[in-house]
Amino acid sequence: MRLLRQNPAGGHRRARAVLAALAVTAILVTAGCGDSLPPAGNVDNAAAKSLASKGVRIIDVRTASEYEAGHIPQAENVPLDQLGAAIGSWDSGKPVLVYCAVGDRSVEAMRMLTSAGFKTVYNLQGGIVAWDGDVTSGSGGSKTAGTLSPSASGLPVLYEFYTDW
Amino acid sequence: MVDGLKKAYEGRVEFKLYNVEKDATGAKLANQLGAQFVPTFEFVNADGTIAKEIVGEASESQLRQQLDALQ
Repeated sequence: MRLLRQNPAGGHRRARAVLAALAVTAILVTAGCGDSLPPAGNVDNAAAKSLASKGVRIIDVRTASEYEAGHIPQAENVPLDQLGAAIGSWDSGKPVLVYCAVGDRSVEAMRMLTSAGFKTVYNLQGGIVAWDGDVTSGSGGSKTAGTLSPSASGLPVLYEFYTDW
Repeated sequence: MVDGLKKAYEGRVEFKLYNVEKDATGAKLANQLGAQFVPTFEFVNADGTIAKEIVGEASESQLRQQLDALQ
């Protein structure tokens, strides 16, 4: 008999404990979501890295040749002059980080995305010149010591770095 | 000179020339490759391996020799 009386009470306690745990989880998840993304707008390197690690879509709005020479590893190349046509098929509810060489074209890209209804658009301040994270060259894989990604053309490449003087 | 070679090797070797003062991407790439002086020539095989680096002025025959050796 004692056992029978205690069981329902124990069941209630367990139910309350489970509800409390669920409530705490819900609060944590909600808080986590709120904190996980910074407000839209200009972001610095640290914030951009954090966005990249969260899988935020990264768009390099420079030309294909600039992109091939070096880009943020996860970035997709959509040159600015093609952006307007491309974003029609994108989910405007998902965050997007844009960048270019120094941050001029990406400001224009940010403006285009925002006016197309994208709610969370980030611009990497200073562009890839200011970027201090990993950079990948070519249209695919990463650079390793002593090697570069094979060129998109499949040909050997001569790089020359020069100045006018 | 390099422009002439670019034409001569068209279809065989891709030429990527960067003015590191004006071209931020080139400056970044030079930095990545550890090129500290200009001019610097990096000869890269089709598989991405760096075959040869020439730092400083190079003669056309030197460049041709390396370009011919690229795979």
